[in-house]
Amino acid sequence: MKKQLFALAIAALPLGAIAQSESYTLDTYHTYPNFMVEHWGLSMMHGQFGKATGKFSFDKAAKSGAVEMSIETASLSTGDNDKGSRPRSRDEHLRSADFFNVAEFPRITFKSTKVSFAGDMPSGVDGNLTMLGVTKPVSLTFERFKCGSNPFNKKARCGGNAVGKFKRSDFGMKTALPAVGDEIALNIEFEGDKD
Amino acid sequence: MQDLLDNPAVQAGGGPLLVALIVALLLARTPAAWLAIAAGYATMLALSTGLSFSPLTASRKVALLVLLAPVAGLIIDRADPRATGRAIPVALGVAGGLAALWAMASVLSQRESAEAITRGALVFVSAAGIVALVARLRSDGVASAAAGLGLGLASGVAALLSASVGYFMSGVAVAAASGAMLLVQMVLGRSLPAGSAGSLTVGLAAALFASASLMLAQLPWYALPLMAVVPAVLLLVPRGRGPVWRQALTLGVAAVAAAAIPLLAAWAATLST
Repeated sequence: MKKQLFALAIAALPLGAIAQSESYTLDTYHTYPNFMVEHWGLSMMHGQFGKATGKFSFDKAAKSGAVEMSIETASLSTGDNDKGSRPRSRDEHLRSADFFNVAEFPRITFKSTKVSFAGDMPSGVDGNLTMLGVTKPVSLTFERFKCGSNPFNKKARCGGNAVGKFKRSDFGMKTALPAVGDEIALNIEFEGDKD
Repeated sequence: MQDLLDNPAVQAGGGPLLVALIVALLLARTPAAWLAIAAGYATMLALSTGLSFSPLTASRKVALLVLLAPVAGLIIDRADPRATGRAIPVALGVAGGLAALWAMASVLSQRESAEAITRGALVFVSAAGIVALVARLRSDGVASAAAGLGLGLASGVAALLSASVGYFMSGVAVAAASGAMLLVQMVLGRSLPAGSAGSLTVGLAAALFASASLMLAQLPWYALPLMAVVPAVLLLVPRGRGPVWRQALTLGVAAVAAAAIPLLAAWAATLST
């Protein structure tokens, strides 16, 4: 009898480990990848993508996790979508082949390779960013990662801000260098409900 | 010096003009003189975004095709240097149309099937028409250079009106290099027949830049086939009469005037969207 109980306990161990991994689906209405880039050596201009989907999971006990995110490039906005008296707006230009090339590359994706922890909570994530058909490693740091509950449906919910940097030229986006800066500062604000 | 090389006017205008002049003068006595167009375009690429072909995106396919066009043309010219009939323009046109389809394949494949078919057909027919019409000018070096000047300006400025600086610079680079070919012929006082090498480069470059502006930027569909007006007008203008400098001026003015038609179409689209 003891042997059977022991065998059952051993068999249940992986299930227990899986049960500790919490999986979340990103809330597209509260997930916005933002970017910042230097313009003419003067200001830092902001832009954001309005549509992003994905999932993240983490296991506090095993100190592991995973992140997957897909960003619709056509949802780009830098606050200049009305061309006024000009032939085209800045957002139209940024969607063209000069920059994000949305007709050919409708998505930017990020897939984690490693999630690091500070205490019980994730503190950063290393992964591969794929943009314009080029995949390069990018590291993000969680400036904030908090968990609580959705006040309306009481479901568990986590969110925060991830920041990182990369060079756009590494992904083949070289138009207007150096007038428009090479270094892109990322700030992804995200929230997700527990599955 | 770096500030000078970072200037878009040098990257797309001054640099390609200078390099094309040097190449054309060095090779003026050979069938390879029209490599000057691709050399001018390559200069623009090298000074602005750099030459890179991986991953092979639509824009990189465009660059690759424009740089390989004179090589393919030289092989055709070498195989049959006296070919004068319509077979070569038709063959080059079909090849140009297929090349444009290949360049845009990755974009077309992501569209709904009906849109992909109509856009693909438009790209094929327009590119084939532009290349075939320019190829009909291939025995007349002055008219071919004028075609490059007009088509480069038309495709370039139309791209700018369609929110693409990259294809604007590409078109201007081809226009500048074609201007260099006009200048060299004026200075030498003789025509340097474009052959398949020159005509394929000029026609294919403009067709690809305009197709890319349609598929990857905001060029209105009707502006793409209207690019063919430039070589069509040059076919109608009396050619081969008088000194070369006068031919160059007449055909150059005619080509730039004809370029206004597709440009007006591209500009009109900016008023309505």
